[in-house]
Amino acid sequence: MKKENILLLAAVIALPLVLRPAIATEIWIFAIFGLGLNLLLGYTGLLSFGQATFFGSAAYVAGWLLKHYGIGVFLALGTGVFVGAASAALVGYLCVQRSGLYFIMLTFALNQLFYFVAYQWTSVTGGEDGMPGIPRPAFLGIDFRDPLPYYVFVSALFLLSLWIMKRIVESPLGRILQAIRENEVRAEAVGYDAARFKLVAFVIGGAFSGAAGVLYAMLFGIVPLEAIGFVTSGNVVFATLIGGSGSLYGPIIGSFVFIWLSESVSTLWARWPLLLGVAFVIVVLFFRGGVVEAWARFWSWRSSKQKI
Amino acid sequence: MAILETKNLSKSFGALAAVDGVSLAIEAGSLHSIIGPNGAGKTTLFNLLTGTTRPSSGSILFDGRDITGTPAHRVAHLGLARSFQRTNVFPAFSLLDNVWVAAFACAPSWRGILWRRADRYPEVRARALAALEDVGLADKAGKPVREISHGEQRQLELAIALAAAPRVLLLDEPAAGLSPEETRKLVALVRALKGRYTIVLIEHKMDIIMSVSDRISVMHFGSLIAAGTPAEIQRNREVRRAYLGGVAA
Repeated sequence: MKKENILLLAAVIALPLVLRPAIATEIWIFAIFGLGLNLLLGYTGLLSFGQATFFGSAAYVAGWLLKHYGIGVFLALGTGVFVGAASAALVGYLCVQRSGLYFIMLTFALNQLFYFVAYQWTSVTGGEDGMPGIPRPAFLGIDFRDPLPYYVFVSALFLLSLWIMKRIVESPLGRILQAIRENEVRAEAVGYDAARFKLVAFVIGGAFSGAAGVLYAMLFGIVPLEAIGFVTSGNVVFATLIGGSGSLYGPIIGSFVFIWLSESVSTLWARWPLLLGVAFVIVVLFFRGGVVEAWARFWSWRSSKQKI
Repeated sequence: MAILETKNLSKSFGALAAVDGVSLAIEAGSLHSIIGPNGAGKTTLFNLLTGTTRPSSGSILFDGRDITGTPAHRVAHLGLARSFQRTNVFPAFSLLDNVWVAAFACAPSWRGILWRRADRYPEVRARALAALEDVGLADKAGKPVREISHGEQRQLELAIALAAAPRVLLLDEPAAGLSPEETRKLVALVRALKGRYTIVLIEHKMDIIMSVSDRISVMHFGSLIAAGTPAEIQRNREVRRAYLGGVAA
């Protein structure tokens, strides 16, 4: 087994022992969300400031079905993946027509559009009050209302998501997306329809966001309005950049740092976002590859010292 | 028989006619050079042929089929590959991956694109390695682009075009910025490729042009002003005037 996998398994086992299970669960949910974004940000070179659109839409639709129709946990998950992918197809289709700053602004503007629909449509979404009362249905006699079984469920889904994402980035598709990131003009010239491949990346990213959205709704039993707001979109970008967008594992580390800081430190110090701000500045100035790069540099520095 | 033909092809940017009524026929299997002073519209012509820019008027025929207005990514699949005047590769990739991406694009099928590991396509890999072999970079396949010289990057540029197994190769100043020694190597390379592919070559260095071309077309201010064999072009008065600013002859 590879070193990364052992570390991950150790983290999955150790996390609920050192953190509250709800926080530990949230870390893996946010990591799934980050994996989806990173296919766009790290691999395709597209900065999407609208990932909450897919996260929130999936949470609302699946939450509604869970609450009013009592659907099962896997059907809810499937619905979330589908809604995430479908909303990403719609948004992505419009966004990939433009590039650079216009692309970013489009993802942001469409996110705001979805946000205001959720804000106004109070009979369904509950508007500012959110959509409360979302159950965690039992599966095969396992009661997911218990925090620990739900943690196991979420972390297993996280490992599955990571495995799927690893397959995708190591496939020809992953390499083509990176080629588009590196040089879009040349990628077109050798025969790839860049807009279509970007759309595919969007849809896959949306599916991951949707899965994360549903798990989030079931974790807290509510879909808050913020789930579809731009702050959530910003948070996942933030977390991924801190962890390192150049690597498959970056968003996972970023999610850990982000959730742990926001949940643990915030109870001790109300101005905790300051810490995040400082971390972000350090990353942008010195470690563009985030924690992953800082770690790699530390080890190469150490081994170079040992040789002397 | 002409494999690539343009009929009255024009492209204007505002008031500037970058390409103006160009009718050109490239014979299959030949090496056809396009020369002309800077700004004559040669690269724009390439952009039109490969679908990077849409013509304002006129048409392009490839193998008898009208391909006017076909987008770039589809033109590549028809068998028309180009290299760029300014090195235009995938900087973060190894040399092999640079060529692999081009070879995969034109693979007969994209099965497993989402699932199979990219290194489990032996036939694509073989073709990519063959393209690197053709330009003499096979021993550096695993190196990243930033570790090779400018001359080698120009060879890589060519390998990416070759990896698509094209029928027509459009080379835009392959020797741009090369030292005399590197230029000699590149000319030998182009000579070796001659006959295997139909080649359209843009070049400034006259000695290269005169020694490798079967036919030469001369562009000036967007229009074709002459066409013929190298010997005919050398004797042509209008060509000399275009190059020497009207004082010659």
